[in-house]
Order: sequence, then structure tokens, then C-alpha cells
Amino acid sequence: MSKLDGKRILACCANGAGSSLMMEKAIDKVMKKYSAKPAELRHCPISEGKSAARNYDIVFCAKTFTKNFEDVGDKTIVIPLKNVMSDKEIEAGLQEAGLLD
Amino acid sequence: MANVLETIVEKKHYSFINGEGVTWQEAVRLSALPLVEDGSVSEDYYKQIVACIEKHGPYVVFEHNIAMPHTTENPEGAYKTGIGFMVSENMIDFGEDEDGEKKEANLFFTLSAVNSEEHMNNISQLMDIFMNDDLIDALGKCRSAEDILEAMKKYPCDNE
Repeated sequence: MSKLDGKRILACCANGAGSSLMMEKAIDKVMKKYSAKPAELRHCPISEGKSAARNYDIVFCAKTFTKNFEDVGDKTIVIPLKNVMSDKEIEAGLQEAGLLD
Repeated sequence: MANVLETIVEKKHYSFINGEGVTWQEAVRLSALPLVEDGSVSEDYYKQIVACIEKHGPYVVFEHNIAMPHTTENPEGAYKTGIGFMVSENMIDFGEDEDGEKKEANLFFTLSAVNSEEHMNNISQLMDIFMNDDLIDALGKCRSAEDILEAMKKYPCDNE
């Protein structure tokens, strides 16, 4: 069992075609490594992510987009990434959020 | 699935520049030129990428001086999925990121995304390439198509 089981995860970047897709793939790698089974993992552009974010448990974004999620609400954890491909950063962010042991 | 570097060589989607005094806007334009030449993208396609970087900052410049300029999927002026690969002998200055960190690049992988499946395949192969430090070093030293193929053979990415 993982604390990430059943979670809804979103990866956001400017266009939803490049960096967010890389993020999604890197997150997926981490999920597999920890045998976690999130209910949903998808990527989208920031324009969509801004309003969609509150329906997700965890939102990953390139650091430069963090300010777009300021008013997302307490239920959503926002994890900014400096390097969108870094599984180490993803793991560290999840650990800090108390979602990885 | 075809190897992206092989495809880049096959389709002549590569270029090599000296890069001295070249702005990042001009570098993005140059990196997309091989895609313009075979009708993969329009002449103006690069302008959307430039506008996006101007708006959001140089977040398309990753570690190891790799730039992946791109826009959305199916943008205006993109007709075929492809990667414009460019090596610059000199670093291209992208300014500073949100933390005031200097961003520069000598390797360009400029994307055109039309076909979803091909694009997904490109992105996952690029991730393997970007995380293969030896290959990235070798690609930075490439000055010809033969060099690209040699680097690719010398430092293969293990596909899981």
C-alpha cells in the first residue's frame, strides 16, 4: 500500500505538450518504483491546469508556473520542479508532502 | 520505434552553427530551419516558440545546456511531427530564470508536435537522451551527421 494510491495527479507546463509530458513520464516512473497506484495521472497546459488544479490531490509544475496555483486551496498539494525530468526532485517533493515513506 | 537521432539524420533535421553573438530568438529560428526546408513547419512557426519563451521565461532550457523549444500540440504552422536538432559551438544566452540563474544552451531539440503517438515517442526518447550524460557531452561536440550517428552508437540509451 502506498499513500499515493487513489490520488489524482496533474502535471502542468505552458503548453501541455513538452515539459508536462516529460513530467508525467518521470512521475509515472516514480509511481512504478514505489508500486503506487494513483487513480489518475495526466498532463495539461497551464491555462487548463489553473482551473483544473483544485480537482487534483497533487499538482506538479515547472517552478516558473508556481504562482499560477497560489489560490488553489488547501486540498491540493503543489510541487514545483526545477528540473521536470528529475525523479529525485519528484521523490523529494512527495516526501516533503508526507506522501512517500 | 525508430531511433530519434537516426530519424534526425535521415530527414536532415540537423544544423551546426558557430553561435557567436547569436541571440536565443535567432537560435530558435535557425534550429527550426531544417524543419521549414522539408515542409514540416512553416517559416513563421518559430515565432510562436519565441513568444512562449518571452512570456514564461527560459523554462525550456534544461540541465546540461539542453534547450527544447516547443509550443503546443497541433499548433498553427506545424504540419509534421519532428525534431530540429542543432549544435552551437558557442553557448546561446537565454537570460535568467525565475531564481536569477543564468540559462544557456548549446544543444537544441526544437519540437513540432502534430501526430500524438509520434510525439509521445519522441518525448520519451528525448528524456532518455537528456539523462544520458555521456551522450549529451558527445552530441555537444558533433559537427556533422556522421558525428551524430557515431555518438549514438557509442553511448546508446537503454530502452526499458
